[in-house]
Amino acid sequence: MANTETSLKEALTSIEGATGVALVDYTSGMALGTMGGSKTFDLSVAAAGNTDVVRAKMRTMEHLGLKGEIEDILISLSDQYHLIRLLSGRGGNGLFLYLVLDAKRSNLAMARHQLKKIEQDLEV
Amino acid sequence: MTALHATPAGLPPRLPVRDRSTAAERVPRGLSPMLSRLAAERATGVLLRERGTLYLADGQIVHAESPAAPGLDVLLTAHGTLSADAWMDAVNQADERHGAARLLLDSGRIAPGTLELCHLGALYDAAYFALAPSSTPGRFRYGTGHWLGPVRPVPVTSLERETLRRRVLLDRIWPDHAADSAPLARADPPRPPTLTGRQQAVLALLDGVRTAPDIARALGRPTFHTLVDIRRLAAAGVLSPRPQEPAPPPLPTRSAPRPPGERPAPNDPDVALLKRVRDALEAL
Repeated sequence: MANTETSLKEALTSIEGATGVALVDYTSGMALGTMGGSKTFDLSVAAAGNTDVVRAKMRTMEHLGLKGEIEDILISLSDQYHLIRLLSGRGGNGLFLYLVLDAKRSNLAMARHQLKKIEQDLEV
Repeated sequence: MTALHATPAGLPPRLPVRDRSTAAERVPRGLSPMLSRLAAERATGVLLRERGTLYLADGQIVHAESPAAPGLDVLLTAHGTLSADAWMDAVNQADERHGAARLLLDSGRIAPGTLELCHLGALYDAAYFALAPSSTPGRFRYGTGHWLGPVRPVPVTSLERETLRRRVLLDRIWPDHAADSAPLARADPPRPPTLTGRQQAVLALLDGVRTAPDIARALGRPTFHTLVDIRRLAAAGVLSPRPQEPAPPPLPTRSAPRPPGERPAPNDPDVALLKRVRDALEAL
């Protein structure tokens, strides 16, 4: 039983190397909550932009006729990892958790596992 | 040239120029100058606008309602998140000190995260319509709260930024807002596109009578989210808005000039456009 703020705070403090996290509604592209980020890294902008990434992948899967569901999407930059974890909200809208990791300080497998746990606690 | 200088009295007076620096202080930039003012003075009360109502507490938005958007009750009960009985119990027991939100959480019938996200969804959705360009000025009533009680208040600047972002998003998908409020019917494009499950659910409800808010309510989804699907379907040619009213027989009036003083039809699309332009200019 956790609200958005405590879940996001937990993600940021417990996941090694996490520098920012957002909970995003992917139909509207709105960040329902953000934590971390910086002046040069606006999580709201990242949230809206990554909505297009999720949508593009979903469309591709529909074109291909793939029936599986996306669990997560990993984007690796030279110095960062961006992890997108899809979850289904009870309000009838798709949501995703968006996690930004410092590549040098993070353990990707561990981060994936922890993000999954935070999703379970979130109860959205 | 000499003539101009010779008759300075004949020159027209200088046109008044608005001092932009002081104007910006007097009227804060935003979708609704009145709302920005209320936020600055940390007002508590209800802002009634043409297409919806915003509830403020200490200058922040705590709730929003609009006839165009399904209420929180619809979003919570449509997918079995909460039973209709549990909702009604909380609404009936709510009083000044214990809002319905608090009662629901205390009863353990809903998780805090679920209520918070559904409430934010309903708030931003209703506010999108409440902040739409209007033809009449808004009214503010000081003092009254909302029976729901606080869930997660939203700063006015965040709400306005998100509302503007949503307008841009819809226009980027398909820049014609005819489908937003008109009855919608299916159209048969020569090459039907692949549709998502969400879009197919929307398509199944098109009957030439239902409008976007009707479909949103039937599906238990926010209207803005439904509009995203509807604009995409309109762009793909799968859906088309039907004219609001069948055109009246034009024969008797076609040749006759409009009587003096009679105004053009209010649903003239140019009027809506002009109102949006005026609102945008006023917000500068």
